[in-house]
Amino acid sequence: MMGAFGIAVLASAALPLVRLWRGPTFWDRVAGANSLNVRVALALAAEGIQGGKAVLLDVALAYALLGFLGAVLLARFGERGER
Amino acid sequence: MRALATALMVLGTVLLFLGGVGFLRFRDPYSRLQAAGVGDVGGAFSFLLGLSLLSGWGWELGVLGILAVLFLFTGPVATHAIAKGAFLRRHPPKEGG
Repeated sequence: MMGAFGIAVLASAALPLVRLWRGPTFWDRVAGANSLNVRVALALAAEGIQGGKAVLLDVALAYALLGFLGAVLLARFGERGER
Repeated sequence: MRALATALMVLGTVLLFLGGVGFLRFRDPYSRLQAAGVGDVGGAFSFLLGLSLLSGWGWELGVLGILAVLFLFTGPVATHAIAKGAFLRRHPPKEGG
């Protein structure tokens, strides 16, 4: 079972998910994906510390790195590419 | 110590919620980026500070510190990249919007 803080942070991830779903522009969607990644990594870290599953901390670190990389790559691609 | 950690984590969760609400409610993409960037960095940093108060001395503290520094530096970088792309492509900021 998840702790209260993990559930709360995951519940706050619903807000950028809505923005990712119906963001009017491409940039809103990229920002929503970035925000969602931050919240998911925080929920993973909270589960790793409070739930005693310490492996999830490394998962959170890798997830945060890959999420940041994806957001910056999408932003650079949209800045240069044709859409 | 535990009360301080809980207070910091509650503050971080509230900041995450407020940033998400601003991200949904604001009108143009730059205001939304500002709400999302500030809420994410502040919320993530105080949440991780509270978690590291809970974790005690060990390698978990090191991983949490790395994660906090990562969020502190990559959040503004990602926000800047998105705002620069939006500015260069097709969304000039509105006056007074």
